[in-house]
Amino acid sequence: MEWKHRSLIDLDTWSREEIEYLLENAKNMEDLLDRPIKKVPALRGKLVVNLFYEPSTRTRVSFELAEKFLSADVVNWSVSGSSSVKGETLRDTAWTLESMGADAVVIRHGAVGSAAYLKNKLKRSAVFNGGDGTHAHPTQALLDIYTAWKRLGHLDGKKMTIIGDIQHSRVARSNMIGFKTMGANVVLSGPPTLLPPDLESFGAVYEANPFEAVKEADIVYLLRIQKERQDEGLFPSLDEYFLTYGADERLIKAAAKEALIMHPGPVNRRVEIESAVADGPQSAILAQVRSGVAVRMALLYLCLGGAGKE
Amino acid sequence: MTILLRNGLIFDGEKLGEKAKDVLIEGGKIQKVGETQPQRGMENHTYDLDGKIVCPGFIDLHVHLRDPGQEWREDIPSGALAAAAGGFSTVVAMPNTDPPIDCASLVQYVMNRGMSSQGARVLPAGTVTKGRSGERLAELAKMAAAGAVFFTDDGSPVWKSGLLHKALLYTRNLGVRIMEHPEDLDLSRGAQVNWGYSSSRSGLKGSPVSSEVSDIHRGIHLSEETGSPVHFTHVSSKKGIEAVRLAKRQGLSVTADVTCHHLVLDESAVVDSRYDSLFKVNPPLRSSTDRDALWEGICDGTVDAIITDHAPYHSDEKDVPFQEAPFGIASLECAVAAVLTEWNNRGKPCPLERMLYLWTAGPARLLPKKWSNLGKIREGGPADITVLDPGIEKTVDPSLWRSKAKMTPWKGRTFANWPIMTIVEGRIVFGETE
Repeated sequence: MEWKHRSLIDLDTWSREEIEYLLENAKNMEDLLDRPIKKVPALRGKLVVNLFYEPSTRTRVSFELAEKFLSADVVNWSVSGSSSVKGETLRDTAWTLESMGADAVVIRHGAVGSAAYLKNKLKRSAVFNGGDGTHAHPTQALLDIYTAWKRLGHLDGKKMTIIGDIQHSRVARSNMIGFKTMGANVVLSGPPTLLPPDLESFGAVYEANPFEAVKEADIVYLLRIQKERQDEGLFPSLDEYFLTYGADERLIKAAAKEALIMHPGPVNRRVEIESAVADGPQSAILAQVRSGVAVRMALLYLCLGGAGKE
Repeated sequence: MTILLRNGLIFDGEKLGEKAKDVLIEGGKIQKVGETQPQRGMENHTYDLDGKIVCPGFIDLHVHLRDPGQEWREDIPSGALAAAAGGFSTVVAMPNTDPPIDCASLVQYVMNRGMSSQGARVLPAGTVTKGRSGERLAELAKMAAAGAVFFTDDGSPVWKSGLLHKALLYTRNLGVRIMEHPEDLDLSRGAQVNWGYSSSRSGLKGSPVSSEVSDIHRGIHLSEETGSPVHFTHVSSKKGIEAVRLAKRQGLSVTADVTCHHLVLDESAVVDSRYDSLFKVNPPLRSSTDRDALWEGICDGTVDAIITDHAPYHSDEKDVPFQEAPFGIASLECAVAAVLTEWNNRGKPCPLERMLYLWTAGPARLLPKKWSNLGKIREGGPADITVLDPGIEKTVDPSLWRSKAKMTPWKGRTFANWPIMTIVEGRIVFGETE
């Protein structure tokens, strides 16, 4: 396959064939993780900057490991607080990075559209969206797809149920797009105040009753509930949330027998998921973390090391 | 100066003539409409307008000229020139400046600065409330006497209902309308886009249509009860248009305008551009159904005027990620062509007369009596003229704009039907003269 992407802003521009090609590549990368020497020279001499405007441990570390295993030179550029507080605009930062010779920038930023904006401002460097506000988190979706695809063999006709704060979740949004592209059916559940008003363009359906929503589900995906949503009055209390929508053993029993339990982390125990489920035999949460490194290696390899054009 | 406009088709504010006529302008007034032979000495000021449409000077009831206080974005001289270049002979400057136009001396300031500018006539709107704070009435009678042509807290609604009730009662005898920016601020808190498709795709907070409609309904009831007219500006939704339509059918003194961008764009532009800040505006770009309804409102007479809501910013302010950008679109210099191109693309859903009415007699009717002679071509009336060229096609290049704003979603778009000459009281303030 001729690989045409050089950057990744969101999965809506990727075909199923492209996602599958990346998954196959990720498999090889994951094998690499078990070797005593986990390093290949694929990106030797390439400079990758991890530009993080929001605190993030797992995404940043996951990208950094992927970059290092591929032998890229890595710079972590963390900007605490908003860019306006810092006094430098994203545009100026972009041009600074390019002047320093960055071949790629991984950006995590609180503002919707910031990754696309950065890509527009950069002439040469590739851009990887590590999460732009509530909008998209495509590498999370790729690692989730990879995790489920490996366990289930394929995703055609599989049922994925996502429960939680859909409206404010970049993870949910990119997953809805990605799993749909891979042939899965996506069902959503959670309080209507946390639901996007227009589900049609995602091809997802809503089921108010979480027990109905997870019925026969092959994947049950729990989203992190942020305390600030309670402060905004979108639901009355975390306890009420847990009792209504939280994933406990009773809820998981309603899903398919071997259903995968997934969560992007970090987990709020006894808010969206109880410990018995998060740590139980069906949980794929730690497998997701491992997948993240492999998938990001495959992504960087294809876009920077391979023949990425766009 | 004597100006002779020859062989143009005349739109008098209501009807478009079928036969070409001449318009003779002298002493700032229209002397004659009919056949006029050019006399000696007039050669330099005689224009053959064969195939062009001679209209009353266009009126834009809603522009932000940012003066005083934000002159890096725009000022009254640059805004007046930009307006003239867009075919407008009169614009109404919104009072959400710094300080807000909330007293007679500031109204006077805008008038004076407008009069010393070269472009369009600038008429001031005053705030409804002191400091635009929404707390107590500004000195409305003094501002009316000084020349304010509207009262509005635009940028915000007059959200305290009791205060809006008092404002409507108090202005009943002043002959100056209240222009309400319809928005329930609690419903739209934190909103960046329309509540619907674009809020769903982005995860951004959405402003629901109910925010606009509930405020329109409130305004209609208050207007009915107080017997004072109310004007709703930048109505953006189907439900909003329906509310105004119903009120008009009931014979209430309710009027409305719509913006050029809500007529030409919808929220798909926000999503398809991957959240380009150029498309960030309040009220937000709404659904295509809403956009279609605005056009229906134009066709059936619900809409009284088309505005630009010209909202200029410095590029450094606007060239940031969507979520960090200010709301507003700069459009004075291409709005007419943008809207008429859309009208054409939609298969001309109403006669051209109707479109032209919404820039002329339509908005003129909403101004105080003093200006009731604007918006029409009549012998003896003021020589405010806009000449429209239906044959011309141009691509928008904001680097050539008179406006200080250079970032606009219209950049690079090709439109037909451009104003080619603007005359204010017998002075040519804009003209591409051959």
